Amino acid sequence: MEEKDSEIFWLRVDGQKRLATINYVEGNRVYGEKLVKKSGVEYRIWDPFRSKLAAALTIGLEVFPIKQGAKVLYLGASTGTTVSHVSDIVDYNGIIFAVEHSSRVARDFLDRVASLRKNITPILHDAKHPEQYFSVYGKVDVVYSDIAQPDQTEIAISNCQMFLKDGGYLFLVIKTRSIDVTQQPKKTIENEIKKLHSNFSVIQNIDLEPYDKDHAMVVAKYHSRG
Amino acid sequence: MHFVVLTELGTVVLEGGKVVKSFAFEQPAADFVKAKSGQYDHDDLISFLRGMNAGFLLNDDSFLKTLKKESLDVHHMDEKQMDEIQATKPQLLVDAGFAKNESDAMAKLRDFALQLSSARVTEISQSPDLHISQSIKALDEMDVMINGLSSRLREWYGLHFPELDNIIDSINGYAQIVMAGKREDLSTKVYEDAGFPESKVQMLSVIQEKSKGGEISKENLAIVQSIANQILEMAKMRKRIEDHIETEMNTIAPNVAAILGTAVGARILAKSGSLKKMATLPASTIQVLGAEKALFRALKTGTQPPKHGILFQHPLVHAAPRWQRGKMARAIASKAAIAARVDVYGAGLNQTLLEKLNVRVAEIGEKYKEAPERPPQPQIMERRRDDFRRRDNFRSRDGKTHDSFRPRQSFRSRDDRLRDDRPRDGFRPRENFRSRDDRPQGEFRQNEGFRPREDRPRDGFKSRGDSRPRDGYRPRGESGSGGPRREFRGDGNKRKKFGRKRF
Repeated sequence: MEEKDSEIFWLRVDGQKRLATINYVEGNRVYGEKLVKKSGVEYRIWDPFRSKLAAALTIGLEVFPIKQGAKVLYLGASTGTTVSHVSDIVDYNGIIFAVEHSSRVARDFLDRVASLRKNITPILHDAKHPEQYFSVYGKVDVVYSDIAQPDQTEIAISNCQMFLKDGGYLFLVIKTRSIDVTQQPKKTIENEIKKLHSNFSVIQNIDLEPYDKDHAMVVAKYHSRG
Repeated sequence: MHFVVLTELGTVVLEGGKVVKSFAFEQPAADFVKAKSGQYDHDDLISFLRGMNAGFLLNDDSFLKTLKKESLDVHHMDEKQMDEIQATKPQLLVDAGFAKNESDAMAKLRDFALQLSSARVTEISQSPDLHISQSIKALDEMDVMINGLSSRLREWYGLHFPELDNIIDSINGYAQIVMAGKREDLSTKVYEDAGFPESKVQMLSVIQEKSKGGEISKENLAIVQSIANQILEMAKMRKRIEDHIETEMNTIAPNVAAILGTAVGARILAKSGSLKKMATLPASTIQVLGAEKALFRALKTGTQPPKHGILFQHPLVHAAPRWQRGKMARAIASKAAIAARVDVYGAGLNQTLLEKLNVRVAEIGEKYKEAPERPPQPQIMERRRDDFRRRDNFRSRDGKTHDSFRPRQSFRSRDDRLRDDRPRDGFRPRENFRSRDDRPQGEFRQNEGFRPREDRPRDGFKSRGDSRPRDGYRPRGESGSGGPRREFRGDGNKRKKFGRKRF
């Protein structure tokens, strides 16, 4: 019972349909996830409660430009739960530039994920200053942003302007509680989406309930001159 | 025009898109950081550029500054040129001879990123303030463990010698008596060795004779004694950590320590993440650090904002009358903010800070001697049963101390001034001990479950990353956190009354 959908797989495990990706580093577990072997290929089960990208996929994404060989700029890599699955997907020909500022979580990220996966370039840097990144080259196909800052949308936009190719996609996780606690979450999301309008066309806006409360994922296409 | 490009692996001089000359870094990660901070020695490059006698366009600000000092004709290149270099970087590295081919260049760039990131992690992990924040967290965890085990010890040994519980306040003394063995083995010498005064020793000897306690078997006593031993060991350990924090704080953050005291200072430092981060915080944030729950509730519902968070543990705030506490907290917080900045960017202990604070403290004491008259309390007409705000009303509206900031008795021991006039061993407030086992079992769990989800401290407020919940630390003073702290909060009656109303 496998259904192929680009590099994302739906496996039937214990009678349940579970999201999975092919393990890039065979036998390696990143965060205690389940490994399933089917016809010689090892898959890693992708938990929507742990990863917002998996949650969005489970709820239903209209476009999914993270494909084999894609170049991704990932802001807010944290300990690398989601990054590891993205790394599974883009595979050998893809590259992930994973930006993370906090040294505490970067420590785990470097040990568990970045040093084992050759397609990840870790950048320990503040995403507020994309002009100071090191080791980045060329334009990327996708910018994925999951950062808990009040000006998260502005940060994501400035990163897109520097590194996202024309026609590339932005995956923006809006953490409404990090932006303004007093505001209604819906209102915050609206406001943040408005900021995208000048450079992006918004494709989809997903409420991540029940996997994450007060979080939304916005998928938008980038037009460098708009 | 010539381009001079600073790359991760070295510097490259370009003319019309062709590489003229390149200078590789010996140790890319370390040298790149030096170049970025203007400390790298570009001697070879500079003499080469001098020989060319032309104008140059550069791709990096700090690099530009370094070369400008050498009075070379250098300017920043425009965005388009930057983009082009950025897009063709792997190829550029190959042309410069830094890599064999493009994929080698990419691998080298990745290695560079790994090295640099690891170096940064190492560098940050070495900062002494992170060790202070670990120490203070360890101290708090020690307290929880000592508290829990002490109450168990009193309950258990109390089966054998119930009277002892009421007579002996200090857990150290209690544990020492338990170590001596059964009731009938206790002699006046044991009591004297445990450091009790004459009068108490005599009282104990009398009571010991007519105790209502039952027999305790050898096996049971052995376990009880090993618990007592653990407590004594942990108390020693706790003292060691406390002393350690004191010396560390005085060397690393002398000004913060002077204004806040070592323990409170260390707690605020731990909460902010690091000394540097604390130095960037506004005084108003420092004032309510540790009171996130109340703060966000205030922002959301428009109730009174908290006057103090961790700062409530500061002896000045703590000892002040209720109506002065907010003012005290504000004065202290503002000086603490300055103190943190002096500690990071200045040097040595600044005496005027403390003097000025003392002036202001005296002024507050003078000016607001009398309690202000309180306006009549607004009546809330409609109360929904499930409204979480309601349970908090009783605290913020009546102007009383917030329940969440009630200091545990044990805080007192951490401050020297208070400890002097309170010669008791401060692991826990006495009174609550006994009620521990009487408490209805269900209440605890319900408290935990009741906390509405959006009422947790927000991501945005937390210092980024470093205080993720994974280390299991919950800030003190947050009510409803459900942890073992709750039972030592001291006002058993209020809680019970309240509990009945609520559930």
